Amino acid sequence: MAAEPSNGTKDPARADKVGVDDYLRIVDVRKEFDGFVAVDDTTLNVRKGEIFALLGGSGCGKSTLLRCLGGFERPTAGKIYLDGELMNDLPPYERPINMMFQSYALFPHMTVEQNIAFGLKQDGLSRDLIAKRVEEMLGIVQMGRFAKRKPHQLSGGQQQRVALARSLAKGPKLLLLDEPMGALDKKLRSQMQLELVNIIEKQGVTCVMVTHDQEEAMTMAHRIALMDSGRIRQVGTPDEIYEQPTSRFAAEFIGSVNMINGRIQDDEADYVTIRSPIFEHLIHIGHGISGFEGQEVSFAVRPEKVSIGKDEPAQPYNKAQGVIEDIAYFGSHSVYHVRLPSGMKFMANFANLQRWASEGLTWNDKVWVSWGDNAGVVLTS
Amino acid sequence: MNIDVLKKLLPHPRWAVISVPYLWLLLFFAIPFLIVLKISFSTLAIAMPPYTPIIEFVDAAVTMKLNLTNYLALVTDSQYVQAYASSIKIAAISTLLALLISYPIAYVIARLPPASRNIALMLVILPSWTSFLIRVYAWVGILKERGFLNNLLMSIGLIDAPLKIINTPIAAYIGIVYCYLPFMVLPLYTNLVKHDHRLLEAAYDLGAKPWKAFLRITLPLSKAGIIAGCMLVMIPAVGEFVIPEMLGGPDTIMIGRVLWSEFFNNRDWPAASAVAVVMLILLMIPILIFNRVQQREMEGRLT
Repeated sequence: MAAEPSNGTKDPARADKVGVDDYLRIVDVRKEFDGFVAVDDTTLNVRKGEIFALLGGSGCGKSTLLRCLGGFERPTAGKIYLDGELMNDLPPYERPINMMFQSYALFPHMTVEQNIAFGLKQDGLSRDLIAKRVEEMLGIVQMGRFAKRKPHQLSGGQQQRVALARSLAKGPKLLLLDEPMGALDKKLRSQMQLELVNIIEKQGVTCVMVTHDQEEAMTMAHRIALMDSGRIRQVGTPDEIYEQPTSRFAAEFIGSVNMINGRIQDDEADYVTIRSPIFEHLIHIGHGISGFEGQEVSFAVRPEKVSIGKDEPAQPYNKAQGVIEDIAYFGSHSVYHVRLPSGMKFMANFANLQRWASEGLTWNDKVWVSWGDNAGVVLTS
Repeated sequence: MNIDVLKKLLPHPRWAVISVPYLWLLLFFAIPFLIVLKISFSTLAIAMPPYTPIIEFVDAAVTMKLNLTNYLALVTDSQYVQAYASSIKIAAISTLLALLISYPIAYVIARLPPASRNIALMLVILPSWTSFLIRVYAWVGILKERGFLNNLLMSIGLIDAPLKIINTPIAAYIGIVYCYLPFMVLPLYTNLVKHDHRLLEAAYDLGAKPWKAFLRITLPLSKAGIIAGCMLVMIPAVGEFVIPEMLGGPDTIMIGRVLWSEFFNNRDWPAASAVAVVMLILLMIPILIFNRVQQREMEGRLT
């Protein structure tokens, strides 16, 4: 490991290579298991101090990629650089990377203190220094009272705090979180998500997390990489991924969406219209796109951007009439599933701004759904 | 008659299930032990059976005579003390050797893919399907002066004259370790196979080299398996008779042989019984300690 002064000034020889934007560089990393490609030529940069989420369904390769970062799997090809240093050949115990494991992997025969001290002891620090650092970590995760307990005497949330303290104790350059909330119940989850982010941000540690839970990724991460079958489909901030999906997969994976397939009818500089065989009215987008007339595209519009009402909207496009088939009541809002004449089911959210507001619309009502010029996105892939 | 009253009078049906192991213990452990205990307090006699009763009813008086000579002899006669000490020494060394051999075996089996584990375990257990006696005889054939081992070593030129192994304590160690190996491997395996591999990964992740992770994580977590295996080997090994008799030669004095010679050669049932009772008590101590430790661990887990 190259020596680096603690004030953060970089080795001048490396200065051109390591910037803030590519603190962690994953270059064409590929991992195969017996011919099965788990991670397929993935390239990714993670900024210093950022919380970065790898989001995807099970078997999409996100965990394998994380294990490659931790050193538990060796990439079949490609390179991983952290702070300008090649990680590929370093075993896990020599990497300046610590991981918070799924369901925590706390050492059951050690107390909370001993768990946190484990990594520090491996570095051969003095007893006093270890004790001081352990106390500091216990304070950060507010577990001082439980220092002498064994892991099985702690609740799930407490175990998670200990696991976090253990993985932060050595002050790693990179923190890995493997499904950090997987073992917690829903209520505790949302509380711990924010707390975890606060602690990680306060420590200023760069963090890569893996999750299958889009809500978790969006709450915790600064940026998200959406993964599917070993490939990264889209990288962006949570709102970019949600509002500007670049593919049908991304639009469908995150949140719910109404997807309409059709062809571009007019491709102008300031607007585009799409004609869909299952849609009576034209779809009108209020800005230009990079496409061509006649191109097959999908139009995606999220339910909360769709209005629902009994009166026909005045606009000549972006509307359809149907019958309410299902109503899902969520308290804060309701989701109406409207069956269009073409057979398509169209979802529209209705915010319950007033009490009993949703009572105006009920099953089998004939309603109109409509949306604005810039409510949806056009997807070409 | 009210059926509820009848139900109250009869024991609850669950006792039928609970009592089975207790009946078993009573019939095959407690009663035989009490008989042995009784004989150990009696006096040797030329009779059938060869001891005097300890409770007599003479002239309208019940007299109970507890003869402690047998126990006193155990303490005063250095032959017995040495036999006990030597038994415990041989059993302890054999247990340690069995542990050192079994741990890697159990560790490797526990790390095998699940499908191959059972085959490997089978291979460990399979020899036990042959008669114990035959296996010990086989070792006589291997270890004797012109036996398989010596012939092999001489034919490849490793030694010039046959090694003297049979009828030495070394042969007894080999026999005991060999025969009790499965009893060490199985509890270790059952423990090690349950270990969560992620704990080791977590240890590596925190900077522990593989050997250190083994010492700090795997070894302490397999403590229960180690203790169970050592108990299962040590306890029967202390009382072992066949192996020291057939392989160990006259120099290998073990309490089992003393017991045998008291019982069959000297026909001194009371002395033999006293030897057996003391041996049992000696073996009870480690078992009780083990139980206490385990209980404390269980309690720690609950609170």
